[in-house]
Amino acid sequence: MLKSLKSVAFGALATILGAGVAHADITVYTAGPQSLIDKLAEGFTAESGIKVNVFQATTGKIMARIEAEAANPVVDVLISASWDTATDFAKRGWLVPYSSPNAEKVPAFLKNDTTVAQGVSALGIAWNTNSGTPKPAEWADLAKPEYKGLVNLPDPAQSGSAFELDAALGAADDYKLFKDLKANDAAIAGANAEALNPVLQGAKAAVFGAVDYITFGSKAKGESIDMIFPASGTVVAPRPAMILNWSKNQDEAKKFVDYMLSDAGQKLVADTFLMPARTDVPAARPLISDLELMDYDTAAIYGKRKEILDEIAKIFAAN
Amino acid sequence: MRAKEIGGAAPAAWLAGIGLAVIVVVPFAAVVLQAIFPNLGRGSFAEPFSLLLATLSDIRLVGMAGNTVLLGLAVVAASACLAVPLGMVRALYRVPLAPLWDVLLLVPFMIPPYIATLGWIMTLQPRGYLEQIAGFNLAPILFSLTGMTLVMTFNTFPVVYFAVSRTVEAVGSRYAGVGRVFGASPLRAFFHITLPLSAPGLAASLLLVFAAAIEEYGTPAALGRRAGFEVLVTGIDSRVSDWPIDLPGAAALSLVLVLLSLAAFLVQRWILNRRSYQTVGGKPQAAEKQPLGRLAAPVLAAFAAVSFLATGVPMLAVLATALTRTISGGLRLDNLGGGNFAAVFGGASGALAALGNSLLLGVLTAAVTGVIGAVAAYAVVKTRIRGRTAIDVLTVLPNALPGIVVAVGLILAWNMPALPFTPYNTPLILLFAYCCILLPQTARYATAAFLQIGDNLEAAARVCGASAPTAFRRILLPLIFPSLASAMLLVFALASRELVASVVVAPVGMQTIALFIWRQFEQGSVGLGMAMAFVTIVVTTLLPLAFLALLRRTGLVAA
Repeated sequence: MLKSLKSVAFGALATILGAGVAHADITVYTAGPQSLIDKLAEGFTAESGIKVNVFQATTGKIMARIEAEAANPVVDVLISASWDTATDFAKRGWLVPYSSPNAEKVPAFLKNDTTVAQGVSALGIAWNTNSGTPKPAEWADLAKPEYKGLVNLPDPAQSGSAFELDAALGAADDYKLFKDLKANDAAIAGANAEALNPVLQGAKAAVFGAVDYITFGSKAKGESIDMIFPASGTVVAPRPAMILNWSKNQDEAKKFVDYMLSDAGQKLVADTFLMPARTDVPAARPLISDLELMDYDTAAIYGKRKEILDEIAKIFAAN
Repeated sequence: MRAKEIGGAAPAAWLAGIGLAVIVVVPFAAVVLQAIFPNLGRGSFAEPFSLLLATLSDIRLVGMAGNTVLLGLAVVAASACLAVPLGMVRALYRVPLAPLWDVLLLVPFMIPPYIATLGWIMTLQPRGYLEQIAGFNLAPILFSLTGMTLVMTFNTFPVVYFAVSRTVEAVGSRYAGVGRVFGASPLRAFFHITLPLSAPGLAASLLLVFAAAIEEYGTPAALGRRAGFEVLVTGIDSRVSDWPIDLPGAAALSLVLVLLSLAAFLVQRWILNRRSYQTVGGKPQAAEKQPLGRLAAPVLAAFAAVSFLATGVPMLAVLATALTRTISGGLRLDNLGGGNFAAVFGGASGALAALGNSLLLGVLTAAVTGVIGAVAAYAVVKTRIRGRTAIDVLTVLPNALPGIVVAVGLILAWNMPALPFTPYNTPLILLFAYCCILLPQTARYATAAFLQIGDNLEAAARVCGASAPTAFRRILLPLIFPSLASAMLLVFALASRELVASVVVAPVGMQTIALFIWRQFEQGSVGLGMAMAFVTIVVTTLLPLAFLALLRRTGLVAA
């Protein structure tokens, strides 16, 4: 009696524990929003019958997982929030060359042999419209006295796009702007979401280099926040999707990339306020063609990543 | 009174050994190997020690280690100042509304530290809830070592409070009463009898607080970085999370953290091993508490103030954030709404599945750590088998391993291609992770409880013909059960909201409560995340309380 009870209990336990792992056909690691990947996976499964298992985290946590898994990797498709990941993985020879038929309308700078963008985010100034400060128009405005102690910067060590922005702006005037910001009591405050939160409540007035789609999402929810793209130029962060060469399901993975770039997939991307990678899919927000982009050498700044981060950390070190 | 020859040493030791090997040794060995062999993740043992020295000779390490110890000691000191007087008063006197204070001081256990910290930030920062209500803010205090210490103290001091009130209650006023009979003053009896005899529980809880403080990630990351206060855990996290990933460096820094925690553990052991603390001798004792008299009002005020700061402020901040439609709208009547709670109960983004997963994992973790913790503590305290010190050390080791490092160690160990079966990428890996991180809780409390049980009780059972397992089950287990049960309830609460390891090690497609909240925050849906946090805190507080009430009714635990 006791024995059979035990086996029943064990069986129930195994079922409950097993319930979390559907035996999926492909595994996607994504640094994008959870809601986006959930909808993409749902739409893809409905269309193809192929199940998708998802792991969503920040780019850093995903990289740590892939690094620790290196002896026995399980990920088939990786969608990072930093193009640098794609460059690095391609250099290591980890990627499968693939050109999706749906990538035709993706502009050349958002794709190469092994990588294609899922969507694109841009950086700008997120500004609380109730903050009692004048509406900023330029990066340099945030170093003015009106914004003293009221500006947050996402940590460039934690956010790849913030790093590119800071590196490009720093190279332009030898970090004078950042020294001015520090003199104006601007603070480096965690990753993107952590930098934005105090601005929503009004503790700070603006984020210098906020990720646009999160800000647009907050605005859509009714937060008194606005997004400003400085006319002097900003940086965009394409989100590269890639198929890993250790994948045992490369055909299914390619189908997933096709779906991601299909009309339906790109509409889901646009719905999260990201810019769609395809130029022929509309979105209710400014697109790349509406933005002024800064000109800088990506390879060069990533080559000096450590020096640039040290320089910025030195400027913002607490007194 | 130190007859340790009795008892069923072998089975207990074997069970403890196997459990500890799987739960603790495997991930820890992987971390040590990773620190030595930088290419371990790719299955290679090439270039041993090439990065270890570089990491350990980094000049910033000294600063980070110093800050870590400073923060740990500050939190321990502040927790002791707050908890020892309250716990003593609670144990020795009839405090009005005592059950209410116990519940209110239980809640901080259930508030995830990152939620409490965010609650404090949203309350104290400029234009935060305090300024919206009272017109001023306390931001300069918050973003400093003082602020960090206070926030972390309010989160951890209940560990000390409950340990002190329980052990002092067990020691009772009986021994102090004997001292009084022989002419000692009340103060002298307290300092020479009650306090020393309560030392195991106090020392064990202070050790847990120290270990929790040096291992805590959320609060130093949110409050300390802005003050330029880098600790080891934030250093480890940036090595794991910031490109380029430096797993060997993270592993090496973790070993430094482990050494710090081991040092604290050895100090605690040294204090405890100097004398006997056996106070449960089988003689019946009346649990008599004295009236407070004129001190009733100030004691009540102290309990109310501490409860408000530890539970009231974070909970109100969480509730306010969850109930406001937009954060920028602030605390205005027309900005309030239950939309976020409706979204949680409507199952938005898998909220209900996440709740179910976490609660189940919490129960399983409590069960596993309860069994292993109890047998390990028994083997360490009541037997003289070889290697019992090793068992003792293994039960405390994970205390110092940051969650994220346990996660990396588990992946390294369980994702080797040669394994025929692996828990990796199944929910089992989360159970392994939680058991590893939380085992010290049950093991420490069970050890403290065993230290207070006289050996003659077990001996009497054996003389009367009980086998060793029977004596353990019928005599020892019921005696340590109150301590063990409360530790298991704590484990349940901590496991059901663990974040740092879960973020890295969660199987694909599975959400837990903490992951759900974290992902909402990352996407800017702070209100939805806070609604989930509030529901979780209420559920994880009420479930254990209901469970305790049930136990009391069945007479297993004294009221």
